[in-house]
Order: sequence, then C-alpha cells, then structure tokens
Amino acid sequence: MRFKHVTALGVGIAAASLAVAGCSSSSTSGGGSSAAPSASAYAGPVGEGEGELNVLAWPGYAEDGSTDPKVDWVTPFEKETGCQVNVKSFATSNEAYDLMRKGGYDVVSASGDASLRLVYGGYVQPVNTSLVPNYADIFSGLKDKQWNTVDGVNYGIPHGRGANLLLFNKGENKTEPTSWKDMWESNSPAKGKVSPYDDAIYIADAAVYLMATQPDLGITNPYSLDQTQFDAAIKLLDQQKPLVAEYWADYAKQANGLASGSISQGQGWQLTANVANADGDKVGATKPSEGATGWSDTWMVAKDTKNINCAYKWLDYIVSPKVNAEIAEYFGEAPANEKSCDLTSNEDHCAQFHAKEEDYWTNVYYWTTPTEQCLDGRTDVTCVPYKDWVSAWTTLRSA
Amino acid sequence: MTTTEAPAGSPAAFLYRHPRARLTGLLALPMTWLVLLYLVPIVLLFVTAFWTTDSFTGNLQRTFTLENFARVLDPSQPFLTTALRTLAVAVSVTVVSIILAVPLSLFLAKIAQPRWRPLLVALVVTPLWASYLVKVYAWRTMLNPEGGFLESTLGFSTGYGWVAVVVVLTYLWLPYMVLPVYVGMQNVPPSLLDASSDLGARSWRTFRSVLLPLVKPAIIAGSVFTFSLSLGDYITVQLVGGKAQMLGNVVYGTFATDLPFAAAIASLTVLIMIGYLAAISRTGALENL
Amino acid sequence: MPREEPLSDAIAVQLRGVSKTFGRGDDTVAAVRDVDLDVLDGEFLTLLGPSGSGKTTVLRMIAGFELPTAGTVELAGRDVTDVPPFDRDVNTVFQDYALFPHMTVQQNVEYGLKVKRVPKADRQARAAEALAQVQLAGYANRRPHQLSGGQRQRVALARALVNRPKVLLLDEPLGALDLKLREQMQVELKHIQRLVGITFIFVTHDQEEALTMSDRIAVFDSGRIEQVGTPEEVYEKPGTEFVAGFVGTSNLLRDAAAESVVGRPGIVSIRPEKIRLAEAAAAPGDGEHGVAGTVREVIYLGTGTRFVVDLDVGGSLVVLQQNLHDRGLHPRSEQPVTLLWRTSDEYDLSRSE
Repeated sequence: MRFKHVTALGVGIAAASLAVAGCSSSSTSGGGSSAAPSASAYAGPVGEGEGELNVLAWPGYAEDGSTDPKVDWVTPFEKETGCQVNVKSFATSNEAYDLMRKGGYDVVSASGDASLRLVYGGYVQPVNTSLVPNYADIFSGLKDKQWNTVDGVNYGIPHGRGANLLLFNKGENKTEPTSWKDMWESNSPAKGKVSPYDDAIYIADAAVYLMATQPDLGITNPYSLDQTQFDAAIKLLDQQKPLVAEYWADYAKQANGLASGSISQGQGWQLTANVANADGDKVGATKPSEGATGWSDTWMVAKDTKNINCAYKWLDYIVSPKVNAEIAEYFGEAPANEKSCDLTSNEDHCAQFHAKEEDYWTNVYYWTTPTEQCLDGRTDVTCVPYKDWVSAWTTLRSA
Repeated sequence: MTTTEAPAGSPAAFLYRHPRARLTGLLALPMTWLVLLYLVPIVLLFVTAFWTTDSFTGNLQRTFTLENFARVLDPSQPFLTTALRTLAVAVSVTVVSIILAVPLSLFLAKIAQPRWRPLLVALVVTPLWASYLVKVYAWRTMLNPEGGFLESTLGFSTGYGWVAVVVVLTYLWLPYMVLPVYVGMQNVPPSLLDASSDLGARSWRTFRSVLLPLVKPAIIAGSVFTFSLSLGDYITVQLVGGKAQMLGNVVYGTFATDLPFAAAIASLTVLIMIGYLAAISRTGALENL
Repeated sequence: MPREEPLSDAIAVQLRGVSKTFGRGDDTVAAVRDVDLDVLDGEFLTLLGPSGSGKTTVLRMIAGFELPTAGTVELAGRDVTDVPPFDRDVNTVFQDYALFPHMTVQQNVEYGLKVKRVPKADRQARAAEALAQVQLAGYANRRPHQLSGGQRQRVALARALVNRPKVLLLDEPLGALDLKLREQMQVELKHIQRLVGITFIFVTHDQEEALTMSDRIAVFDSGRIEQVGTPEEVYEKPGTEFVAGFVGTSNLLRDAAAESVVGRPGIVSIRPEKIRLAEAAAAPGDGEHGVAGTVREVIYLGTGTRFVVDLDVGGSLVVLQQNLHDRGLHPRSEQPVTLLWRTSDEYDLSRSE
C-alpha cells in the first residue's frame, strides 16, 4: 500500500461518514425525551414462573455461590420458583445503565444515579407494589422517594441503603481517621496512596467535603451544583489528583490494595473492607464527620421483560426478611425490610448500620442523577447536568 | 479426448471460460466480510462521532454536530495530550520490543543449534498461550509496590504507572515482534553474512550494513503489531497504570455515557494508525510484507 | 599484462594436517581428514571432487568461515588458523554469488573498500575499474535482482577482486550457469586470473571444468586429497582408482581380466579415446594389447560415438571414437569386435598404491 492509497482510504472513510451524518441530521432525535413515559404496571396476579430470570446487580447483591460457596441466595430462589437465574454484576451505575439500555435483563438493582435515567429513558416499567407482599415491611423512610417514584408512580422496590465510607489501611493509619481531609488536602500523609471512585458521580464526594469546609459556596445538595459550586468541586478533584494511587472501579482490586498497604485511604464500600479483611483485620471503614455520599438502591423491572412473573417473584424474594438480612450483612449496608433486623446473624447489625436511625442518614447523600433544574429547589440558577459531570470527569481523568 | 474431461456444460467448464465468475466466486466471501465487519463499523464510528447525546438519559441524538471533535482537538482540553502520551507509549513499546527482539531473533535464527530452534521459538511464543487477563493480573501482583514479587525479591518495583504500562505491554506484544523478525533473519542467506565478513566487515558492521537492512521489513511488520496493539490497549493501563490513562481508557470510560465523544476519541486512534501506516509505507517496507 | 613467466615457488596457502569434524558426541561427521596442501603463488588450483568430498569445507577453512578441528592454515607464511575472515587477506566468490540485495552493483563492489575506509574517490575509481574488468561498466546503478545470472557472477567477481586479495577463493561459481555461459565464463575467468596475477583456488565437481582451467588440480574424496597434479597428470596418470573414475570415464580392467589381457593381475586404466575398434579376428600389433568382446551399446554424441563393449574375459570397456569422415570400423550393437590399444596408454593403478 502506497502513501497515497492510505491517505485516500482515510479521506474516503471520512467523506462517507460525513455524508451519512449529514443525511441523518434532519431526522428527528430518537430517545432522550425528558417526560416520564406513561406506562402501566403489571396487573397480576403473579402466576407460574417463566423458568428464567436475568438479573443485573451490584456485586454482592445477587450472590450465587460463585464468589463464596457459603454465600448463595440465588440457588434457594431457583429451587423455590423454578426460575433459572443468570446474574451479571456491574461496577458503576453508568455500566448498569448502559447494559439496561442494550436490553436482555429482566431486573436491575439500580442506585439513585441510574434509576431516574432508567425511568425517563423508558427502560423500566412501573411496579405494582401490591403484588410484592414484603413491600409492606419496608422502612417507610425508603418508600416513595424521588429516586424510586415519579409522579406518584412506584418504579421499584427499595433494597437497602449504605454510605460510601472512608476505607483505610490500619498499618498506614495508626488512629482511625474522622475526616476525609487526607483524601483531599495537598499536605496529606496518604499522598500517593489514595483511592477515589472512578466515576463521574464521585464529583459529589468533593461537593460533600466542600459543604463542610467551604460553607460560603452554599452547597446544600451535592447533586445540585451550579457552575460556581461545580467548578469548586472540580478544582478540589484536581487538587486530589497528585495524591491518587489508583481510581477504583473494581472493588476486589481496591480491597487488594488496601490490604497490602499500597492504598492508605480510599472511598468505598463496607463490602470492600470485609473482602480485604478475609485474612486478618487490616482495613477499617468509617463515615467521617463531613458526611458521605451513599446509595439507596431499588430493584426495578425492565420494560420489555419476558419473565414478568419470575421478576415479581424475585422482587418479593430479595426483600424478604431473611434474604434481605443476609444481603445487608454480606454487603455491609442497612436492610430495607424492617423485619430483617431481627434475623441478622449479628444481632447488632441494624444498629451498626443505623438502619432505624433516620438521624444517621441526614448527612448521607444518596446518589442521584444531577439535572439542569436544580434538585435543591433553586430556580434562580441552572445546575450542571449529568452530561457535563461526565465530560468534566473524562477531562479530569485524562489530564 | 479423455473420459475425465469436463463436459462442455459443467460448472468447471463454465468457470474456465469466465475468469470474472471465478474471481467473483473467490472474493465474494472475503469482500462481504471486509465490507460488513470492517469498513461499515469504521464508517459508523465516524458517523456517530458527529452526533450528540441527551444530557439526562445519555441516549443518542442524531443531530449533526462538530462539538465532539472540537472538544477532542481543543488544546485547553487534555485529550491531545492523552493522544501524545498514548503515542509515546506505543512508540516506546515498539522500540523496546525491537531492542529485545533483534538480538533474540539473531540468536534463534543464526546461532542456536538448528535442532533446538523449534523449542526455543515455542518458548518465546508460550506467553501467547495464556489468557491476556491472567498475564496482566500476574504483573499487577508482581508490581505491587507493597510486598509484590519485584519489591520483595529485587527490593525495587516500578509501582503502577507509565513505566509499568510500557513494561507489561512489551511483555505482552514481544512475541508479535520476535516471530516476524526471526523469520526475516532466517530468510537472510548465511552466505550474505559470510560475504560481508569475507569483505572485511566485523560482526557489528555486518549486522548494521547487511543484516539489519535486510530484516527491516520484518521489523516494520512486527512494529505494526506492537504499535497498533499498544495504541488500542486500555486493560493493562487500568491494571498497572495507576491513574494513568490512554486513549482506550477515555473511550472505555465514556462509551456508556457519551458514545459520540467516545467515537470521536476512537477516530483519533484510527487516524494515528493511518498516519503510522502512511509513514511506514513511505519507507517502502509494506511492499515487502 | 599477461604473465608468461613460470609459477613462482612462493607458497600462497599452506594446509598442514587440517581436519574438520561436524557435530558432537556420537553424531559426528568427518568432513575433512588430515589434509596437507600447498598452493603456489599465482597459480590456478582447483579442488575437484564429488559433493560431500570436503572440498568446499577446505575452501571455507581457508576463508575463515570454518575453524579446523585440527591442523594449521597459513596464508603467505602467516598462521591464520584462528584469524577471523575479516582479518584474512583472501576474498571469496560464493556459489550463490551472495550479492547484497539491498545495495546497487556499485555499492556491492565498493563494500569491501568502504569497510576498510578507503577514501571515496579512490573507492569509486577502483570499483569502476573492477566493473570494467568484468565488462559491467554500465551496470553500476542496477540492483542485483535486475541482472542475469552471468552478470551477477561477474559482479561477485568484481566485488572480490576490487580488494586485491592475495588469494581468491571461488566456490563452484559457475554451477548455476547454463552450459554456453559456463564455457564462456571459464575462458574469461582464466583470462582474468592471468590479467591480475592473483592465486585462484577454485572449487568444482565438474572434471571437465577442472581440466580446462586449472594449473593444478587437487582431487578430493571422502574428506581426503586423493591426488594433486597438473590436469594432464591427473587425467593421464590417475593416482588412484577413484581419480581414474572421477576424472574422465572409468575404464578399468581388473583382476582376472587384467591378468589375461596385460599379463599381470591388478587394476589397469585405459582412457576411452585411446582404444581402437577392429574386426573380431584382428590381432594386436607390436606394442599393442587387444581383447575380444561384444558391443552392448552405441551412443551417438555428436562429435563422437561411445561404444560400451562387454569383454569375453569379463568386465566391460568404453570406447570413444571421433566421428571423422574416415572413422574406420563402426560396429552395430551386439557385433563382436576386438579392442586394441598401445601398451604405453595403459596406466597401472595397482602399481602406485
């Protein structure tokens, strides 16, 4: 191939691309409307299972024994219902959202920063809570929230909640940290050994820290940032960058680093600390005084599911007192079912995870998808929408 | 006339009289493959790069815009720097691979006992038999700055970062350099080396003036592999690069939320690759592939 | 400037007790066994032998490509046994020419001079001269693949000669050429050798080529030198049965046949062209021997005809007859004949052993 031909090839492809792009530019946009779609929930009754169920879940939410043979709540469900379960786990809400968009899953455990997008994108259907008997026992503090309910229509069953904790290696941190400061400030003793979450939603963690350290910015909701507030958060993230060893997306990798001491402090899950402590008590987890981001997860049903009966059986099963207790203990979060608190193997679990203390959750900011219309009720400014969070994050990570 | 002759109306006779039909038959399948699975996706990639997404749901909106490319090429944005860094990694991996592969291939092709050669070549290629992920995870463990294999045996580890990325990518792609260079060296007649020596050239001179120019096409062929494979990699960077990011990571990080932007970044790698092929085609080396 | 004076006595190359064994352990092959050889300054010496006889290995040891397992190699009185090729004052023309494909003809020829840091102007002048010598003056900018086999051959020669070596080694350089070109190159090589006055050591398996070109021939078999001599000596007075058979056509009377014909047992060599065909009843004249036989084969060769005759006393002889107008008896197949030759044309091989 001579030079000319290579160039010609390149030019040809570019020209063809432009032509196609140009032709399509007049066509109307597909998807992405901002109005909640009108769709009706399953009327029931929940009948015989279809024999199959495809579950998209956070790691630790739908364990089938493959991580740890003793940790398995999928198999009993299969025996009970005859629905064969295929579990796919995801690392970030964006990954979950993308997989749901592509289709092929019946139910998903969506965090607040994915759930609304799934609703407005038209990828999930309303849930008829009357077909889920265990719904009655869900903490009322989790019901009818803005990440699971739109215009009074329920789009899912609450699963549990937790905070993104400060995880630390006990060898590197002689005393338990009480502040996020060593993950943010330039003079940090943990410099070069910090592990933040590798996702645009982590910008909210910066905002949480700013709420405590720079009250002048007037941040009240870390997912509702106007341009000035947003820029301050990005500036803080830039300041953090030299401290960072690795941004994490794979919790097992982060657990590994925390256990070995190559990571001193990181933002992460209780589950991660549990995995890191599989052989020895090396890693601690705490919610610092500034508060934390967190999640309140919701089981949702895909709009085009072919296994509606299995899906409803799953929704009811997964928030049943015993199973919800097991998951909450395994993952390290507060269960959604009030009755679970009596069934945990560690009877103090609900206390430790503050399941019943609404006070504890006042400075836990559940993941939510930022929108242009400020979520904190301000109307005099527009907030930075999620798309710009993503592109700012991309820029930050690439710099 | 023999009984085995094809009858006048047989397919064989038809094809014999119609060379174009033969050519069509030969190329129908590969051309379909190339067009459908190769050219069409590239065109779609470029097309996507001119679209945008809904700011809330992230869904594709098919309206023409140049903003993705404008952002990629904006000097105040980091992506051109990322591209340069990616290029630097690909070039480094290629250069290190050449530096390692040339003496190794020389030994394999010209010095090692011929009966040992198949075994030695098999050894060089062995890493290709293991899964990519297994190898990179193994390196991640080895490179761990706290108690990793290198740190505990050598008392020193590069840790996770750009050096680790180049080391691991070189490890991964070295066989793709060694194999063509080895074959290239084998194809150099021994008499040429004898002749050079006979004419007064010492080993280094023979290597530089005779062997190296003759295996240059093989080295370039190998470099196409090491360069392109490194250029598109993102998993190795994720696992041993620390917070380092290459173009592949930007694509990986954005394709779920902002496909058009990911496509624009991916177009950049395609452009770099076209540029690379154009550069080496100027050397005339592609004609010898 | 043709050289007319006789060969000097100075020795250009001397081999003493040279052996070469390939392989290791039980798996060894002795390619060259205990070879002694003196090559005189300015002579054209041919190493002749079948493939695998060790002649090329000897050449490669003189060039330095192979290290002898035992023995010494001297070039002009200097022991070079352990000296690498690039420090030996010899040059080689390879069987496959070994031209550098990535260089032009000019660059190929200049290569040796460039390596030795000869100044550019000098280098170019000498290369041009060498190319003129081999009649390739206009081909300097071509690449080897643009040349014919004969032309490549000449470039290889020019590339070696331009260095003005003491000894030029030629490893079957004409083997790949067709017959016409080969014969032409034989004459030309000989001419060039006279012109430049360099010692040529020439390897070939073609006995005719060896006889045509050489001042002396060393005949190799199984890693040993069987005989060293002028072409005439080697042809007319073969030292061993092998030489008699390899140089020219094997034409031997042995044992009982020899005893009944020449009166003594042993091995007697008679060259085919020395034998005359006569009627079955013909008797040998004075100083002649004769033997009766039957023609088995008649082979027409153009300039001559070859007869294979089965002898009544056992064995067979080959007779070569020129196809002259007056060619005497020309028997047909299965015709009984008598073979006659002068006793002075017999060569008793058993005597020399």
